[in-house]
Amino acid sequence: MIRTEKLEFTIGDFNLRDLNLEIPEKTYFVMLGPPGSGKTVFLECLCGLKRPRQGRIFIDGKNVTTLEPRKRGIGYVPQDYALFPHLSVEKNIAFGLRNAGHDSRSNRRKITQIAEMLTISGLLERNVTDLSGGEKQRTALARALVVEPEVLLLDEPVCALDEGTRQTVCAMLLDIQRKLRLTVIHVSHNLEEAFSVADRAAILNQGILQQVGPLGQLLRKPQNEFVARFMRCENIFTEQQDVKLARPHPGKAGMMIRPENILLLPIDECGTEYENQFIVEIARYRDFGAYVKVELAGPLNLVAHLTHAAFERLQIEPGRQVKAVLPPQSIHTFHP
Amino acid sequence: MSNACNSPLRSWRDIVFAAAALAFLIVFVAFVLLLIIADAFYIDRKAVLTVINSGFIRHALWMSLWTSCLTTLIAVLFAVPIGYSLSRYRFPGRALADTIVDLPIVFPPLVAGLTLLVFFSQTDFGKWIQNDLGIEFVFRKKGIILCQFLVSASFAIRSAKIAFDEVDRRFENVALTLGCTRFRAFRRVSLPLALNGVIAGAILTWARAFGLFGPLLIFVGSFRGRTEVLSTTVFLEQSVGNIEVALAVAMLMIVVAVIALTTIHLVGGRTQVKL
Repeated sequence: MIRTEKLEFTIGDFNLRDLNLEIPEKTYFVMLGPPGSGKTVFLECLCGLKRPRQGRIFIDGKNVTTLEPRKRGIGYVPQDYALFPHLSVEKNIAFGLRNAGHDSRSNRRKITQIAEMLTISGLLERNVTDLSGGEKQRTALARALVVEPEVLLLDEPVCALDEGTRQTVCAMLLDIQRKLRLTVIHVSHNLEEAFSVADRAAILNQGILQQVGPLGQLLRKPQNEFVARFMRCENIFTEQQDVKLARPHPGKAGMMIRPENILLLPIDECGTEYENQFIVEIARYRDFGAYVKVELAGPLNLVAHLTHAAFERLQIEPGRQVKAVLPPQSIHTFHP
Repeated sequence: MSNACNSPLRSWRDIVFAAAALAFLIVFVAFVLLLIIADAFYIDRKAVLTVINSGFIRHALWMSLWTSCLTTLIAVLFAVPIGYSLSRYRFPGRALADTIVDLPIVFPPLVAGLTLLVFFSQTDFGKWIQNDLGIEFVFRKKGIILCQFLVSASFAIRSAKIAFDEVDRRFENVALTLGCTRFRAFRRVSLPLALNGVIAGAILTWARAFGLFGPLLIFVGSFRGRTEVLSTTVFLEQSVGNIEVALAVAMLMIVVAVIALTTIHLVGGRTQVKL
C-alpha cells in the first residue's frame, strides 16, 4: 500500500496541500486533474525526485519520505518518456539492470522477456530517435519494468499518442498491471483514459485533493461542484427560489443530475406520476456518435444525453417543446 | 533529382535569400584565403628551408603543441565540473561566479599577462607560491600553461555549461529512479549527452592556447630554446627583419591548426561548435 500523510510541497506560487491518500496494493490508480493541478509534482514526490516540505510517504508500511529515488523500488515513466537519446532501445532497457549489477546472461534474459511482452523485440537494435510514439512508449515502459519495481508511476503515458493507439496502449497497461500484479499510479487529465484502466481514482485541483474513490462514485456522487464539472456533468444547480426540486438530501444546497439520467417525454404524454417535471424547449443538439447531446431551455437550463432511438422517437428539433423529468433518486446533492 | 523532389517548393524570393546568405559566406572565406595566399606568395624557398632546418623553430613547434594540448586537458578537467555546477545548482553568488567565468574572455591579452606577472612577483601570496612552495611560473615553461589556461579555459567552461543546459534534467531524473546515484547519472547520462559541447569547447580552448602571444611575451618572455612558442617566434623573427621567415612560421601555425582541427572534427564525428 502507498500512503501519504499531510503531504505538502511548494514550488513558486504553487502549493500541494495537505494531501492524505491511501492507494491499496496491486491497484490501478488514476490521479486525475486539469493541467497545473499538481499531478506530476505528486508523482515526483512519490518517487523521490522532489522533497516534500511537510508530510510523510509510506510504501508497504515503510517511511520513504527521505529515501533516495533508487532505493524506493519504484518504476517511473515520465511524460514524453525521456528515453536516453544516446543509447539504443536495448541499452535503454538494460540501463537499470546494469545499475543493479546482475550478470549479463540474466540481464539478457530479462530484456528478451520484457521486449517480447511489450512486442518490441524487433526494435532492440534501433536508435530511440527513430521510433514512433507508441514504440517509444513501450520502450520507456520496458525500461521501467525490467528492474521489477513494486510500484509503477506513469505520467500522462498515452497523451502523446493518437486516439486509436491510446486505447490499445491503455488495454495493454491494464493487462501488464494485472499480469505483474503491480501497484500502478497513472496520472492523466483525460476521463476516457481513466475509465479504460482505473480501479480507483482521485481528482486533484490546484494542489488540493478533491475526492478519492471508484470512478463510478466520482461520476455519480461527486463531493463538490469541481468534481461534478470535471466528470463532465453540466446540470449543476444550487437551491433556487422559483424551482423546487424533490431530492434525497434536502439539507445540502448543491445539486447535480447526470445528463444521461434526465428523462425526456413528448409534451402530450401523461406523466403525472413523475416528480420534478418541467416543460422545456430544445435549444440545440449535437450528435456525438454514441449519444446525442441536447440542450434544453426552461425553468432550469439542462443538458440531456439521448440514445439515438430516443432521439428519433422524440423527433428532436430546435424550438420544439418536451417534458423533462429529473427523477429524485438520480439527483445527487453536495455542499457547494 | 531525388533531393530536388524531397525539398519544399521554392519561390524566386527563397532563392535570392539563400544566395544572399551564401554570398556573405563566400566573401568571408575568400577574404581569409586571400590573406593566406598573399602570405604564401611572400615566402621564398630560403625562408621555408630556414624554418625546416632551425632547431629553435622545431623546439618552438613542439613547445606550442604540448603546452596547448596540456592546457586543453586541464581546462576540460575544470570545465566539466564547473559547467555542470553552473548549469544544475542554484547557490548564493552563482550569477557572480557565472560572470567571473567569462571575464578572461574579455581581458585584453596584455592585461592577462601583466596581471599574472604582478600577482606572482608583487603579492605575498604569489611570492609564497613561487619562493616558498618552489612552484615557479614567471619566465618558466609552467608559466606558458598557466597563461594559456587563464586566457582560454573560459571557452571550455562556457561551452560545457551550455552543453549541460541543453541536457534535459528528466534524463537524469529517470536515471535516478533506475538505480543511479547522482554521480552515476552524471557519468552515464549527462556527460555523454553533453560530450559534443565539451569537445567543441576543447577545440576553441586549444585554438586559443595554440595561438596565444601577448600574455606569454610579458609573463614568460621568449627565450630561445626555453620558453619560445611559435607565436613568439613569429614576433622574434619579424622584430629582427626576417619577414619571410616570420610568415613561413605563421604558415606553419596555420597548417598545424588546420590539421589539428580537421582531425578533431573527423574523430569527434558529429561535433559542432555551439558558442
